[in-house]
Amino acid sequence: MKSRKLYNRIAVLRKERNISRKELAEIIGVNFQTVGYLEREEYNPSLDLAFKISEYFGLPIELIFSTEPLKPLIEEIIELKNKIGGQ
Amino acid sequence: MKQKNSMTKQKRKLWIVINYLSIILILSIFYTGKYYDWPVFVIVCEAASFILLIFSFIKVFIKTQLWKMSHTSDKNLDERQLQVMLNSLKYSYSAFTIIVLVIVYGFAIAEQGPIDVVIAACLLYIAHTLPAAIVGWKEKNI
Repeated sequence: MKSRKLYNRIAVLRKERNISRKELAEIIGVNFQTVGYLEREEYNPSLDLAFKISEYFGLPIELIFSTEPLKPLIEEIIELKNKIGGQ
Repeated sequence: MKQKNSMTKQKRKLWIVINYLSIILILSIFYTGKYYDWPVFVIVCEAASFILLIFSFIKVFIKTQLWKMSHTSDKNLDERQLQVMLNSLKYSYSAFTIIVLVIVYGFAIAEQGPIDVVIAACLLYIAHTLPAAIVGWKEKNI
């Protein structure tokens, strides 16, 4: 079964937190090359790994992973804010 | 699992080809030597191809840690590496079956009797290195 491509913000979030691939790999318990594969969107993580990543970054999983190309995080936050404000 | 070597995919492919070519060379020279009753030149060539086999094995399987990856416990691999290993084992199982069948039937058709110890040793080597070779061939980074 061919799985869908998953887009993610791991590279942006990692750079924002100023940590290396190696450090992130150690935190989430994978090989550092796997972090590279994840950032290049060449590998879809398991649900468990996706949760580990979202727990580490302290963000909801849907803000990190998506089946559609992701917009810049700031745009997403503004949209979310407007949605909440409009309710 | 920590990785040290970062040989490019192209280089890895080249060394894998050299490694398996050296096995073919060892076998060809062995049967040539057997046929001509081992002249010195053939013995030197056999030794040289054996050295090439060992050198290329160290270069492509040991230094890149492909050997370690394919022979380590599942507990030491992450989910991507496990997936990569399972895929390579699937391909190597098919490839190895074909190689063995071709050799066994080849010997039977040529009426050479059962396979000898040199072929058996080469098959054992191929069986052990093929999964790692497939990973090295297919993956961008290991």
